[in-house]
Amino acid sequence: MKARANAMEVIGAAMVASLVLVALLAPILAPHDPTRAVANSFGDPWPPSWRFPLGTDALGRDVLSRIIFGAQISLEVGIAAMAVTMTIGVAIGLSAGFFGGKVDFILMRFTDVMLTLPGLLLAMALVSVLGPSIRSILIVIGIVSWTSIARVVRAEALSMSQRDFVMAARTLGAPSPRLITRHVLPNVAPTIIVMAALGTSGTLLLDAALSFLGLGVPPPTPSWGRMIEEATIYFRVAPWLATFPGLAIFYAVLAFNLLGYGVLRQRAR
Amino acid sequence: MMMTVVIFAGCQQSSDNFGFPPSAMVLRLASNDDVPSLDPAAGYDTASWTFEQAIFDTLVRYGDADVELHPEVATSWESSADGSVFTFHLRNDVRFSNGRPVTAADFKFGIERVIDPATLSKGMEYYQGIAGAAEFAAHRKPHVDGIETPDPYTLIFRLSGPDPIFPHKLAMPFASAVPREVVEKWGEDFSRHVVGSGAFKLREWIGGQRIVLEKNPYYYVKGQPRLGGVVEQVGVNAELQWLKFESSEIDVLEAIPPSEFPYVMKTPALRALTLNKSTVTTEYLGMNCQMPPFDDVRVRQAFNCAIDKQKLIAVINGRGIMARGVLPPNLPGYDPDVRGYDYDPAKARALLEQAHFPHDPKLPLWFRADQTGEMLAESIQQDLALAGVSVALKPVAWGPLLEAIRQPKNVQFFMSAWEADFPDPENFLSVLLSRKQFGSNNDAFYTDPAVEALLGQAALVSDMKKRYAIYDQAQRIVIADAPWVFLIHPVQYVMRKPWVHDFIMNPMRPTRFEPISLSQPTGD
Amino acid sequence: MLAYLIRRIFFGAFVLIGTSLITFVIAFMVPADPAVAMAGAKADPHTLATIRHQLHLDEPIYVQYGDYLARALHGDLGRSYIRRESVTHLIVSRFPATALLAVCAMALSLILGIAMGLVAAAYRDTAIDNSLLVASLAMVSMPVFWLGTMLLIAASALTRSIPLGGLAGWKSLILPTTTLALGSAGYYSRILHTNLCDAMEQEYVRTAIGKGLSRARAMMKHAMANALLPLVTLAGLDLAGLLSGVVLTETVFNWPGIGRLAYEAIFSLDIPLIMGTVLFSAFLIVIANLLVDLMYAYLDPRIRLEEIG
Repeated sequence: MKARANAMEVIGAAMVASLVLVALLAPILAPHDPTRAVANSFGDPWPPSWRFPLGTDALGRDVLSRIIFGAQISLEVGIAAMAVTMTIGVAIGLSAGFFGGKVDFILMRFTDVMLTLPGLLLAMALVSVLGPSIRSILIVIGIVSWTSIARVVRAEALSMSQRDFVMAARTLGAPSPRLITRHVLPNVAPTIIVMAALGTSGTLLLDAALSFLGLGVPPPTPSWGRMIEEATIYFRVAPWLATFPGLAIFYAVLAFNLLGYGVLRQRAR
Repeated sequence: MMMTVVIFAGCQQSSDNFGFPPSAMVLRLASNDDVPSLDPAAGYDTASWTFEQAIFDTLVRYGDADVELHPEVATSWESSADGSVFTFHLRNDVRFSNGRPVTAADFKFGIERVIDPATLSKGMEYYQGIAGAAEFAAHRKPHVDGIETPDPYTLIFRLSGPDPIFPHKLAMPFASAVPREVVEKWGEDFSRHVVGSGAFKLREWIGGQRIVLEKNPYYYVKGQPRLGGVVEQVGVNAELQWLKFESSEIDVLEAIPPSEFPYVMKTPALRALTLNKSTVTTEYLGMNCQMPPFDDVRVRQAFNCAIDKQKLIAVINGRGIMARGVLPPNLPGYDPDVRGYDYDPAKARALLEQAHFPHDPKLPLWFRADQTGEMLAESIQQDLALAGVSVALKPVAWGPLLEAIRQPKNVQFFMSAWEADFPDPENFLSVLLSRKQFGSNNDAFYTDPAVEALLGQAALVSDMKKRYAIYDQAQRIVIADAPWVFLIHPVQYVMRKPWVHDFIMNPMRPTRFEPISLSQPTGD
Repeated sequence: MLAYLIRRIFFGAFVLIGTSLITFVIAFMVPADPAVAMAGAKADPHTLATIRHQLHLDEPIYVQYGDYLARALHGDLGRSYIRRESVTHLIVSRFPATALLAVCAMALSLILGIAMGLVAAAYRDTAIDNSLLVASLAMVSMPVFWLGTMLLIAASALTRSIPLGGLAGWKSLILPTTTLALGSAGYYSRILHTNLCDAMEQEYVRTAIGKGLSRARAMMKHAMANALLPLVTLAGLDLAGLLSGVVLTETVFNWPGIGRLAYEAIFSLDIPLIMGTVLFSAFLIVIANLLVDLMYAYLDPRIRLEEIG
């Protein structure tokens, strides 16, 4: 039993590590500049060849190089967005769970309202309002994704706060921030880490979706979701163009899912 | 359930000729977006005009393939010597599809409706030149005094100033004859229940699904329309339209998917099915002459040399010709001898050096957010990067784009296009490049005293040859001053099946349905 | 029971108002001048001012909001700036297409998901279980728009008879339904798997097995009911989400539903339509939640007996 859960964890971790490596070493690994035209394939994408292993797109750019550099931006956005989501979600969850009462009531009602709003639509509308840039995407993804983290953290914080020693400390007048950081947070931390891994797969998907809809990181930065969108009009004559970036997204999302799920199973046993 | 019935009803219709008799000729079309409106006062796009011109009549119209004025409901017309009074004589055998005869009053009603601000018509501005329009719009008068109907078949327009090209404004669907009683009955939903005097009438319009037209039994031209009906399915994307055309489910393919285009052009059998027209449109990059870095003419010329226009055409699969000036071919007054700017990256870099262009300012390029626009913008971004200029793309919706570029000192660099409203150079040069259009259509905020003088001169000239010569002089100055990067004139391609006859493309209007016939009935 | 219901309805109403407030605030931030959108950019300032007055845009924000809310309660969600049609009418006319897709996709995903979860749980801790686990993780990891595009490519290469987009006869349902269903199926299969395994650990089930009942029968007879309930609840809530439009699938397949309507609205900055679609979606979710609460109230005797006790 233990061995199998380990397999998932390990494979997931390896996949994530490979992504990070590719992202970090992109300038060395990529054979060409991802934004320059290196082939005369304007309006007529070229299929994979020795020179261009994944083909070229309709603006003459090398697909392989774009996918490699795409890893950079995907990880950047995916992880940073997760950080934003975590910050908001943990802050709200901790406050609600620890302080309880009115604070909890208001925060939870606010969470309920946010849960009722359609996530993707809200994200799209917000990006339209703020204008697409890395910063706005991070904020928007954070705004749309924090609710599930908040709920889980709240539950844990609540049960933590009911513990005798915490309640005792409170009645004795210990300052709340200290209590939270010293006692509640460290116990909630493992859950947060697991949810972070699983959540990153979510932020990656959301970022890819926004890019696909034209609301992601703007060109010429190569972004996998956008590459798929640009490839859809060529799906009959150049099907590889849409296939490869999608495989990249799939690989990245699967990596974090395996890692997160693997750790979850490990902990459950 | 209901939805299943809807689907099956759809299937049923296509197999029994959409409810038309089996021998009827029904032209089948498809489009991606639904028609925005059938109300002649509201529609201002190709889709709406395609149907509006079939359902409604105007006083005059363009020929099938030309931009000369031909009679429609008006049999003849004359103008006063100074070009400020126009008199039209109407036929007396025109009827609306509900049987009621059409009179001059119906045109007056239609045009007043456009002028009335409550209608929110985008055609308002074209008729402001009619005397009394302002008073009517301000609700100080119940009617526009300048439109006179001395008898049911005579219509007189008095303008507040000479306008030799005024009759062209009456060839736009805005100036259609509209039945007052139907508008009053349906109010804001008139668009879905239109009644006109054109060759066709609206039989059915299921939002998001299809529009069906049928012959107007009261149409005054004997023998037309030859078609029994027209059916356009909407919500069909370009790829699906292609499939339907291949399998003969539709007769005309108006939007050839970009990915199929090279294949079509390389295959003789398919190429034979194409028709094309060079549109009266110029796509350009506007450079705000009042804002740095574009206040220096060398920078503007450099940008013109830095951008590879043939590459742009390749990216859109050859559907365009390089723009060498302001005016597009097919526009009366076009000069085929202007040179414009060829691709010359070395010259571009030299000019930028001379002008001490600051490196890496991250210049935002504003453009309309659609697929073609994105591709063109990325190609332009690529070219400018090679010249040492880093450009940030800023796609926006059309409305906000227009708003933004019209404010002075707001947007430096943007992509835009202008399609002629009427076939005259005034519609390009005066509307886009004269000082009085600052804050309106002159988004590059360009002005030159010599050009202003020439424009003012030409507008009053009724002798077309002289008129075009003066405009040409003005154009040459503008090209040298380069307030725009002259990009391309789009060429539109369509495909039609061999059994579709007389599908004639017009430079300025959607193809008319009236002359079309099919040599095999679609009832199969 | 009644008091509980009334509380839940009030709660739902409160949430809807909160939603409308947030939506309104966002709509206000949208950088588009409605007057220009309606009259076209060539209109003169006087006309624009008139339009703004007609649309009540010159009134203070809370008045506009109150106005909007009052009209929304009557089902009037305003008129689209771009299309000039009533927003309610647009939403209602596009709803059947989305509903059809949503129901079919939900059905398929439940069938597939339950089958996968059941088999995985039945063959627990074997190679079959493992491969199904990986398969479901894979299904959940695929971006919906990519999967849809891949299916389009495969379909166009293999056959000419499946329409590749748009609502055109029942065959056109195949691709979008499959696209939507696969991701959810993976998700549901994991949930069912977990619930089933938990249920099988229950004391009374183990006793029954100990007494000679076969594992398979025990699973079907005792565990399934308990395991299915939370899944079906989740599916119900998800259905509400699906009904409010799946933007990505509808975009890839050009499906004439609410998702695509919302996408078009956002891109053309058509404020009333954006607000209308968001509110409609929230409304569906609130209703779904209410129905689920109702069902639980009915099933959970503690709530029913609340009044008496």
